[in-house]
Amino acid sequence: MSTRVATARPSAPALADRSPESRGRQRDEVRLLVSATTGERDLSFRSLPDLLAPGDLLVVNESATLPASLPAVGPIGEFRLHLATEFGDGLWLTEPRWSPARPGPLPLADGTAIAAGGVPATVVARYPGIARLAFVRFEGDVPAAMSIYGEPIRYGYLRVPEPLERYQTVFARVPGSAEMPSAGRPFSTRILEAARRRGIGIASVVLHAGVSSLEPGDIVTGAPPLLPEPYAVPAATVEAIARTRRAGGRVIAVGTTVVRALESAHDGCSLRPSRGFSRRYVSPAQPPVVADGLISGLHAEGTTHLDLLDAFLGRAARERAYAHARAAGYLWHEFGDVHLSFRPARA
Amino acid sequence: MTAEDRRRAIVTGASQGLGELLAQFLGDEHYELLLTARRREPLERVAERLRRRGAAVEVLPGDVTDAAHRRAVAERLGPAGRLDLLVNNASELGPSPLRPLTELPLESFRRILEVNVVAPLALIQELAPALARGHGRVVNITSDAAIEGYAGWGGYGASKAALDLVSRTLAGELRTAGISVVSVDPGDLRTAMHQAAYPGQDISDRPLPEVTVPFWAWLLHRDPAAVTGRRYRAQSDRWEVAG
Repeated sequence: MSTRVATARPSAPALADRSPESRGRQRDEVRLLVSATTGERDLSFRSLPDLLAPGDLLVVNESATLPASLPAVGPIGEFRLHLATEFGDGLWLTEPRWSPARPGPLPLADGTAIAAGGVPATVVARYPGIARLAFVRFEGDVPAAMSIYGEPIRYGYLRVPEPLERYQTVFARVPGSAEMPSAGRPFSTRILEAARRRGIGIASVVLHAGVSSLEPGDIVTGAPPLLPEPYAVPAATVEAIARTRRAGGRVIAVGTTVVRALESAHDGCSLRPSRGFSRRYVSPAQPPVVADGLISGLHAEGTTHLDLLDAFLGRAARERAYAHARAAGYLWHEFGDVHLSFRPARA
Repeated sequence: MTAEDRRRAIVTGASQGLGELLAQFLGDEHYELLLTARRREPLERVAERLRRRGAAVEVLPGDVTDAAHRRAVAERLGPAGRLDLLVNNASELGPSPLRPLTELPLESFRRILEVNVVAPLALIQELAPALARGHGRVVNITSDAAIEGYAGWGGYGASKAALDLVSRTLAGELRTAGISVVSVDPGDLRTAMHQAAYPGQDISDRPLPEVTVPFWAWLLHRDPAAVTGRRYRAQSDRWEVAG
C-alpha cells in the first residue's frame, strides 16, 4: 500500500500564457525539471546535453503544426472549424466550435452543407461517442485555404495570439498536426549542436497530433479516449534504436507523441518499421516498452498524457514530481517548462 | 460531380446492423449504392431512410447463394459498368443458440459455407470485370472467430477463416488487375446477429455499429495498393499500411 501525504486537491499550476519569445527570451530558455529516484532537480533546459550521455539517442517528432483553425459558415451562421486529422481525399475529422473559447457540440446534422476557409464541404458523420467531433468532406484545396485563412488552434489561457511560427518546433518537416507536438519546442539549433558534439544521436518519427480537447465524458464505450492519428516509424529509426541499445545507450523520447508512435510500431516482441493510424493508449495497464527516458511538457490533471506519464515514471513518483513543479512555479502547457524523467530500471 | 463520375458501391446484407451502417456511411460519402439483402421490406426501409439523407440508392432483394440473384446484381451495373467497391457483408451464423461442432447439423454447416465463403467468391467472380474497370476495392467482412476457436462458433469461424484465406489469395491474384482485397473484422457489435448468438442475453455492453465509422473513413481513403491483402480489426488501436 502506498502512503499518500497530500490529501488536499493539488493547487492550480501556473500556466504559460505566452511563449518565451513573447517574454523576451529564447525558445530554449525554459526550465527543466529532472526527476530521479533521489528527488527532483531544477535546471535550465540548456543543460540538457550535459544530462545525457554520449551514445544516448533522442527520438523526435517531425510533424509540423498546421494553421488548422478555419472560419466557417453554415445554416447555423458563423462558427470556427478546427481540422484535427486528415483521413484522405478531402475527408477530415473536425471539431466545429462556436469560437476558439467556446466548444460545441454544434447543431450540424449529417449531410449539412457548410464552407470553411471558403471551401465548400459536407458534414459526413459524427464521431462515435463524441458529439463535438464530426467527419467533414471538402470539395476543394484545403491546404490552400488553411494557408490563406487558417490560424493555429489557440486555447483560452493565452494572453497573446502567438503566430504560427511559434507553434513550430525546430524539427518540423512534415505538416499535419492540429496541435503542436510541444515537447520539442524548447530545442534550438545551439542545443542540437551541443548534443551532437557530445555524441548524442537524433532519430525521428512522425505522429500528427489531432485535437487534444477531449473531456472525461468523451470516452467511447470499450475504447480508450484517444482519436486515431497518423504515425510513421521509419526503418532508419528502428535501426538507430537497436544500435543504441546494443551499445548500452538510452533512448529518450521527445514528447508523448513519440512514445505513442514507438509503442504503435512495437508488435509485442520487437520494434518494426510501421506506418498507419494509431490510437494506442499508453497507461499503467498498458505500459511503454521502447523508450527509456521522456522529455515532456507539464500536463493538466485528468488527461491521457498524465496516464502515459504515470505509466512511464510510476504514479507516486509522477505525483511527487508534479507537486514539486507546482510548488516551484513551473509553467504548464505548450509554451511552458519541460520535464525529463526516466523509466525505472527493468528487473 | 456528374452521375458518370460517381463512385459505385455494392453492399450485401445491407438491411440491418453493420451492412446498414456501411451503406449509410458510403451514401454520405456520395457513393451510388446498390444494396442487397434477402428480405425486401427492411431493405426498402433502409433505402428510403438513406434517400432522405440525400443518397442515391437502388435495392435488389435476393439471396447471395442464388446464382440468378448474383447475375442480376452484375447486370444492374450494365455491360461496361464500373464498380468501385464491393462489400461482402451478408453472413450466416448457423443455428441459434450456437451449438458445438459435434452437434452442428451438416446441412447448417454447408449453408454457413455457402453464404460466407462460396457466395462472396462467386460475387467477386461475377463482378471482377466491373471491379477491374473501376480499380475497385473488395471488403470481406470477417470475425475474430476465424482465429480464436471459440466454443460454439466453430462453423461460423471456419467459414470466416476460409474467407480470410480467399481474401489474401485473391489480393495477390488480382493485384495486376488493379483490384484490392481486404478482410475486416468489425469486432463485437450490438447487432441482430450477435444477439442470435446469445439469445435472451443482455448484449448492451457491445458498442453499436457506429463505433466502426472512423475505421471505414480511414480504410476507404487509403491507397488501395497499401492495404490490399491485409486483415484489419476495425476496433483495434492501430491500423497499419504497407511500406
